[in-house]
Amino acid sequence: MVEKIIVENLNCYYNKNCILDSLNFSILKNEILNIIGPANSGKTTFLRTLNRMNDYNTYYSRNGNIYLDKLNIFNMSVEKLRRRIGMLFAMPIPLPMSIYENIVFAPKCLGLIFEKSKQDYIVECVLKAVFLWNEVKDRLNKSAMEISGGQQQRLCIARILAINPEIILFDEPCSGLDPISTAKVEETIIELKKKYTIVFVTNNVKQASRIGDRTAFFLMGKIIEINKTEEFFISPKQKKTADYISGRFG
Amino acid sequence: MCGMLSVIFVILIFGFLFVESFTFLKNFGIFRFITGKHWFPASNPPSFGILPLIIGSILITFGACIIAIPISIMSALFISEIAPENLRDFLKFLIELMAAIPSVIIGFIGMIILVPFIKKTFNLSTGLTAFSGSIVLAFMSMPTMISISEDAIHSVPWKYKEGAIALGATKWQTIRKVVLKAAMPGIIAAIMLGIGRIIGETMAVMMVTGNASNIPKTIFVPVRTMTATIAAEMGETVRGSMHYRSLFAIGLILFLITFIINLIADLFLRKIRR
Ligand SMILES: Nc1ncnc2c1ncn2[C@@H]1O[C@H](COP(=O)(O)OP(=O)(O)OP(=O)(O)O)[C@@H](O)[C@H]1O
Ligand SMILES: [Mg+2]
Repeated sequence: MVEKIIVENLNCYYNKNCILDSLNFSILKNEILNIIGPANSGKTTFLRTLNRMNDYNTYYSRNGNIYLDKLNIFNMSVEKLRRRIGMLFAMPIPLPMSIYENIVFAPKCLGLIFEKSKQDYIVECVLKAVFLWNEVKDRLNKSAMEISGGQQQRLCIARILAINPEIILFDEPCSGLDPISTAKVEETIIELKKKYTIVFVTNNVKQASRIGDRTAFFLMGKIIEINKTEEFFISPKQKKTADYISGRFG
Repeated sequence: MCGMLSVIFVILIFGFLFVESFTFLKNFGIFRFITGKHWFPASNPPSFGILPLIIGSILITFGACIIAIPISIMSALFISEIAPENLRDFLKFLIELMAAIPSVIIGFIGMIILVPFIKKTFNLSTGLTAFSGSIVLAFMSMPTMISISEDAIHSVPWKYKEGAIALGATKWQTIRKVVLKAAMPGIIAAIMLGIGRIIGETMAVMMVTGNASNIPKTIFVPVRTMTATIAAEMGETVRGSMHYRSLFAIGLILFLITFIINLIADLFLRKIRR
């Protein structure tokens, strides 16, 4: 298996409080890596470090390295990095524009597509990929604020697909959704695995057992255990992991 | 309740202006009044054409907008998106201070500094020009425009910016395509309020524009506005005279113009909100 991302001695701090504590692990190409862990264990912080969304936060600091295909991400231009590593937030954030514009926004900003016909094509492709096409094809020019939360979240996934990244980070993408929308989003994510490397953060242990190839357990900024999802859930090596997945703490 | 009250006031003001100017408009003719090229209310026979005044007002307003709108939007963007926190507070304070300067003082400063400067720079026979009026008015309307646009820009939720940045947009692309767009209704409201201030302003304009009621061919000649005419001549007229009533008729026209501008602004705001 090819290592897509290598995390090397990563420490992150908010206001000098250590939030991520000497992480060392790698993420494999075309896998879905689950990250589970209780609230405040640093899951979001890790994702935001991966696509450098925290660079704007003056209280944040870090040391250590992360390599994407052997290149240090902290030496890349942030726009290029984010083109390769897309991120989906916990709450759907449609931009205040139409469904169509939401999708072509990033490709236009990045200078990837210009012709209208190409744009139409991409919009259709990515909406189909997230199983949203049939639901919204008649109102592409309506505001993205007017569709349901679950649809918005899938639109946000579609929007990421439009820039065709290599890795997609999901930060509890179902936490605000009902079970049916959740099922649809899960289905979408599993489908995406064929083309993308996926990091999937969730609070929901059952969801993790359904989705990922491997699972990592974060606790207070440390990785307690990382293993194949099946083994992870059936025979966890650490007591803390066993306690957590059986719901005994956290 | 408040809404009702303001509607009643607007109707009362309109009714008052209409009653005061009705006999004049009937005798002189609305069309002659609006399209007449000469404003000689004191000559014999008097001529009450306000076309030069309307053009004067429009020219100065237009000039002021061209100066004030881009500067205001850029300042608002700078203050809320780019400036570091302590600089932002200082700038906001400065702008509030600017808003509090009485217009007479701005007019006065314009008269003793700007007018001679324009005369010299453009090599004119007088610096009392429409251009000077536009600059002074731009200066007066900018605090309103900046602070209200700044509010609008500042209240664009952080998550929109984050959403755009996470997709690989640069900071500038985010500002241009997301922040400005989301804040647009507020910015338009700010501009309209600023224009309201520009059209209604009287004292400062009177002090720097030369008050010549000719139809201006360029922005570098003296002009006279509708507001300035009312302010300057009301004291000299005999109550109830033709001249007196004609000034009310100007007031009526001004009222209608502002009303229409507000209406357009409102329609526009509604369209954008939807
Ligand atoms: N912007 C910030 N400024 C300061 N501290 C922060 C910031 N964001 C997060 N933290 C702190 O960092 C720690 C880790 O937060 P993080 O959001 O990474 O947790 P999480 O594992 O994603 O939790 P959850 O499951 O609730 O989403 C928490 O203690 C939190 O208080
Ligand atoms: Mg989180």
